[in-house]
Amino acid sequence: MAHDFDTMLRTIKDKQWSLADVDWDAPGAETITDEQRPKLKQFMADLVWIENIGAMGFAALADKAPTETIKQIYKYFHAEEQKHANAELALMKRWGMLDDGETPEPTVQVKMAIWVLDNFSDDMPLTGLATLIPMLECALDGALVKFLLDEVSDPVCHEVFRHINSDESRHIAVDFQVLDVVGAGPVRRQLIESAAVLKPQVLLGLIVVFVPLLNKMRDNIVAMGLSEQKLYNAVKRFVSNGDRSANTRRIPAYQMFKQQARMVIDRTHPYHRFLADPLVKLTNAFPARLLGKPPSWSKELTHEPVDR
Amino acid sequence: MNTTTGVLVIGAGFSGLGTAIRLSQAGITDFVICERAGDVGGTWRDNTYPGAGCDVPSLVYSYSFAPNPNWSRAYSGGAEILAYIRHMTDQFGLRERIRFNTDITRLVYDDDTGTWTASTKDGHTITARAVVSAVGALANASYPGIDGLDTYRGHTMLSSAWDHSYDFTGKHVAVIGTGASAVQIVPELVAMAATVKVFQRTPGWVLPKANPHHPSWLTELFRRVPTTQTALRQALFYGHEAMALGVVWDSAVTTLLQQVSRRYLRRAVADPWLRRRLTPDYRMGCKRILITSDYYPALQAPNCKLITWPIYALSANGIRTAEGIEHQVDCVVFATGFDVYNAGTPFPISGSGGRVLGDEWLAGAKAYKSVAVAGYPNLFFTLGPNSGPGHNSLLVYSEAQIDYIVQAISLIRRDGLRSLEVRKDVQEEFNRDLQRRLARTTWNSGCSSWYLTGDGFNATMYPGFATQYARGLATLDPDDYLATKAG
Ligand SMILES: Cc1cc2nc3c(=O)[nH]c(=O)nc-3n(C[C@H](O)[C@H](O)[C@H](O)COP(=O)(O)OP(=O)(O)OC[C@H]3O[C@@H](n4cnc5c(N)ncnc54)[C@H](O)[C@@H]3O)c2cc1C
Ligand SMILES: [Fe+2]
Ligand SMILES: [Fe+2]
Repeated sequence: MAHDFDTMLRTIKDKQWSLADVDWDAPGAETITDEQRPKLKQFMADLVWIENIGAMGFAALADKAPTETIKQIYKYFHAEEQKHANAELALMKRWGMLDDGETPEPTVQVKMAIWVLDNFSDDMPLTGLATLIPMLECALDGALVKFLLDEVSDPVCHEVFRHINSDESRHIAVDFQVLDVVGAGPVRRQLIESAAVLKPQVLLGLIVVFVPLLNKMRDNIVAMGLSEQKLYNAVKRFVSNGDRSANTRRIPAYQMFKQQARMVIDRTHPYHRFLADPLVKLTNAFPARLLGKPPSWSKELTHEPVDR
Repeated sequence: MNTTTGVLVIGAGFSGLGTAIRLSQAGITDFVICERAGDVGGTWRDNTYPGAGCDVPSLVYSYSFAPNPNWSRAYSGGAEILAYIRHMTDQFGLRERIRFNTDITRLVYDDDTGTWTASTKDGHTITARAVVSAVGALANASYPGIDGLDTYRGHTMLSSAWDHSYDFTGKHVAVIGTGASAVQIVPELVAMAATVKVFQRTPGWVLPKANPHHPSWLTELFRRVPTTQTALRQALFYGHEAMALGVVWDSAVTTLLQQVSRRYLRRAVADPWLRRRLTPDYRMGCKRILITSDYYPALQAPNCKLITWPIYALSANGIRTAEGIEHQVDCVVFATGFDVYNAGTPFPISGSGGRVLGDEWLAGAKAYKSVAVAGYPNLFFTLGPNSGPGHNSLLVYSEAQIDYIVQAISLIRRDGLRSLEVRKDVQEEFNRDLQRRLARTTWNSGCSSWYLTGDGFNATMYPGFATQYARGLATLDPDDYLATKAG
């Protein structure tokens, strides 16, 4: 399959939007009920941090991009994920969940994910990252955002997510196009790169960090009322998109993450009892200060549409 | 009004003035210099932004035939360089030979008479046997095509057309671009303005610049024993020549220089994220190396911020970047570089039989030894195609061109030629060899830069040492040329 990345890059540039395009004081903030607020706050905070982690994922991908155009695309995606996080912070601010200049405290699992990304994303080969990111985008962004829009009727929120969803449709399209390109590469390189995913420090980082991160969020949102069917649909989207390309199917990392996604959504799978749940407990107790100072990139989020 | 002269020199920058000096010294005095601006200096007349200066030591960034013992420091500032150019102009009595405010808009060759006729913007013509185009390699800088540029209500300026009347004190300023000019401007602005945001697309390789003042005993020594200055100039020259090993070709030396640069970055910048954003992802030498010790400290000043998010538009009050934030500023400084003439010509040039050089150069400029072009007799270029160094003073190249051109013009006059034209086959063979050698250089290694045309053709750089280049131009071989006698 031939992909036209140049046209995609042009579209991405054309579709840019800014927080300043949104009227953050428009009526509708009052539609958030006091009952919704505490849970919604946690949900939004998780969402913000997932976007930020996604942003860094794209930054790491940009360094490994197979062509200059794809690199440019990833640079935009990096910025767009940051924009999503900023816009979601602005929504939180609008809903009275944040003080001036405040950024919500990340959970310990998020902190660990940030730490791993900061320290190991350079060791992660292109195939690993390029597979992990669409899974996160499909499963989390897809399911979470649909759920949010069902729960919240604030028109400003809907306006913001029209922009975000439009961006995400391009992210997911490119994610899978790149996987197709990568999958078309020589088998030997894929084996080498997959072996790199399996390097102990990388694999351990992935397991210890992403397994509990995913599970905790999964359980949080299910507790908030997200139907498991929605999660299931999101993963199905990842799998059906990926499986459509014979090249993608050849990527070992893809097969690996596909299995993991299936296990995550199926709460009866032994994966939860034996791996994920204990890891959530374990990481909950993890003293975050051991991770040291958070990297400065994680402090660049802002809910202010303009900066002077 | 029509003027007739022996040699028309277009441009009164370093190259045009240098040509005039060497012509005079060779006894050729019937020349006219046309300069479209009101003063000499070219680049150095235009680039007066705070912090402007050369990044090759002045002893090398000057002409050997016009030595200056008075350089105040290793790398001089723009004002001192401009003063040197003005001094040189007066010293050789060139000012009265220059027609200022005379913009050449067209050159037409007449096969019958073997002369060129230049048209000026104000409707005059100048006819000359020989023409030297010394218009510089950098076209006028212009505002880049950013959406919404015309909607921005704050102040804007180009680094190459600095607005000295604008007071930066207390202002919020954006600098777009992080090339050779920007790294000189940013430290100055950080010291003046309230805040400075530096918008970067691609980081450059940075090497620290040691810029000592020349102590008075050194200046004194240069004055009393000029050979000492020549000796130091030679030493510095060869020091830069050695850099070619790392800059021109991708070699172990490149890796070594990159290590030096990385180590400097590690020492100068504490924050890993900032460091990562400042680390280039291409081989050193592929784009111009930045020589500065002030840039990294300035970026880390409390009132300065490096922004690496892509810019997508200007709005009424500032710059919008893809992370969704509008960066509001009072002034935007564009240090986005120059267009180089690597395709086309600065004004229409029609040669023998009415052929148009701009058409022939559309896919990339080609010449013989960067100086002469088949089909365009008696016309010579300074800083022509493939004469750019990545590692040494441009003036060393310019000096070699000038002396070659003076040989050609002397030949025309000695033999009373109507025309002297480089042979097409000689030019083609030269370019085949040149492109073969370029293919092995860092510039053609897959990174995109202004050194290359849109199609990746390299019409700017010379693939070798300055010494090699100069040797190639040392003697004009009449066999390379077709000569026709007058009459
Ligand atoms: C900020 C800056 C720093 C630099 N630092 C270095 C350095 O450290 N080392 C180095 O080697 N190089 C450096 N350069 C490159 C520099 O441009 C050259 O070294 C040198 O100044 C070129 O001189 P020139 O006479 O060939 O061209 P220019 O200086 O560009 O002069 C050309 C002249 O021709 C005139 N002209 C153009 N078109 C016409 C026309 N149609 N009719 C009439 N007149 C015309 C122009 O007005 C101008 O005066 C630097 C350049 C810049 C911008
Ligand atoms: Fe997103
Ligand atoms: Fe995304």
